[in-house]
Amino acid sequence: MIEIKNLSKSFQEGTDVLKNLNLHFKEGELIVIKGKSGSGKSTLLSLIAALLKPTKGEVIVDSKHISKLPDHFSSAYRRDNIGIIFQKYNLIADLSVKENIILPLVPLNISKKELDVRAQEVMSAFHIEHKADELVKNLSGGEQQRAAIARANIANPKIILADEPTANLDEKLSLAFIEMLKEMKQESKTIIVATHDPLFFELDFVDRFVDFDS
Amino acid sequence: MTPEVLTLFILNALFFIFATLAFILAIKINLWYDKNATTPKQYALEKQSYLTATIIKYIFAIKIPLFIFFIFTLEKISIILPGAMCSAGVVNATEYGIYLVMLKLLNLYLFAYWIVLHVQDMKSEKQPYIKLKFQLFVPLYFLLVAEIALEAMMFFSIDIKNVVDCCGVVFSISDGTYMAQIIGASPLIQTTLFYGVFGVIVFTYIIRQKRAFAIANILFVFVALVSLVGFFGTYVYEMPTHHCPFCFLAYEYNYVGYFLYIFLFVGTFWGAVLGVVAFDAQEEKRRYRVSLLFNTAYLLLVSFYVLLYYMQNSVLL
Repeated sequence: MIEIKNLSKSFQEGTDVLKNLNLHFKEGELIVIKGKSGSGKSTLLSLIAALLKPTKGEVIVDSKHISKLPDHFSSAYRRDNIGIIFQKYNLIADLSVKENIILPLVPLNISKKELDVRAQEVMSAFHIEHKADELVKNLSGGEQQRAAIARANIANPKIILADEPTANLDEKLSLAFIEMLKEMKQESKTIIVATHDPLFFELDFVDRFVDFDS
Repeated sequence: MTPEVLTLFILNALFFIFATLAFILAIKINLWYDKNATTPKQYALEKQSYLTATIIKYIFAIKIPLFIFFIFTLEKISIILPGAMCSAGVVNATEYGIYLVMLKLLNLYLFAYWIVLHVQDMKSEKQPYIKLKFQLFVPLYFLLVAEIALEAMMFFSIDIKNVVDCCGVVFSISDGTYMAQIIGASPLIQTTLFYGVFGVIVFTYIIRQKRAFAIANILFVFVALVSLVGFFGTYVYEMPTHHCPFCFLAYEYNYVGYFLYIFLFVGTFWGAVLGVVAFDAQEEKRRYRVSLLFNTAYLLLVSFYVLLYYMQNSVLL
């Protein structure tokens, strides 16, 4: 489903963050990419999400070469296929939980009624419906993350990318996140988690580990 | 310097600044854009191509209503210009006026063509027209600058103490100029050419011959404009000696000129574009229809005035 071919990325000449990387992710797989800070995990996720463009090589998703897409096609590809869970959640503090969650659907001109139905579905799936009208800035870290996960899922993407999703959470909340990850995997989504949190390294439902340190 | 002229100058200054920025970026894109390259420079150029296209789009979006505002400004100035009865007098008050109007129309056509090219380009992941559209913007920029310069020269050289000719004199068919000879051609020749070229448009529409359809549309612009001033216009004004392309736009004639020009320019523009831009089958069909619909509306409207006059007076002018 996702093919990484001879992928290199450098932000400054001569310093490659990724060099000749070759990977293949199958549909419905849960992959954990582990590695220390600066090893290129987040860069890889950004390249898969077409937020960055490679210096060399290609990212192919469902036979589509996404690395050379013009920006407006990249945005459409991301909107239709990708859900991203960021380390710092990237929610808009002055909007409510529900408003944040429906943001990815705004460009699609969906009716308000349909938006409400879909928001309700994901909020209840990720246990945040009781905070629907609360401003994000008033939420706890765990609640913000549930809102971020709901937002990543509202467009029903095939691919979920999670970048250090538990970096700002305590162990209890991290375990709760892992439970949600398990639920997402049951929906046959392809999930790629970039993390250096050891909690992920013992999980039995992870299909594959990719070690960027080696 | 009236408030309307000042508004035009301010907008022209803004056009100049933004168009120059777009021009510099277009040159960079023309020189260094390589869609196969994966360098930071190429990625920067890709982003700049969005910025450049956005600037050009906004210039065009403002230029359309601004053209109508320009005509409105000429109408207002005609009140203070001795001898002028409408915009035609102001246009003819200086040697730059007529070139300015022609250049404005040409630029509107070319900018509209640029937008069509851009829209088609953005529809495809491969952006097939990216180089072409920015190459086209280079001469377009110079035409825009020429238009801005001509407009400034025209307004600065109007002398309100000079008596100017009214449209009756400017478009008189007896003053011996080439223009007078063309618009003074016999009604039979003018109407035969007008309906004949329209017939060619319909025929090429039926056989779906794009190039011929485009050429017939370009020809139709000229034939339609000449016959409008020389023949059909006299029925709108109900006066055989009144040959003015501007008075239609006035209140006395129910602003019918705006409908006439919009029908004619939209119809012929889409017809002409079909000959040079590749659309998908459905879009092409739609463009054919829009072009024919607007051209037909134009033909029916001008013919209506002749018919109406004949029904009311049982005689032609």
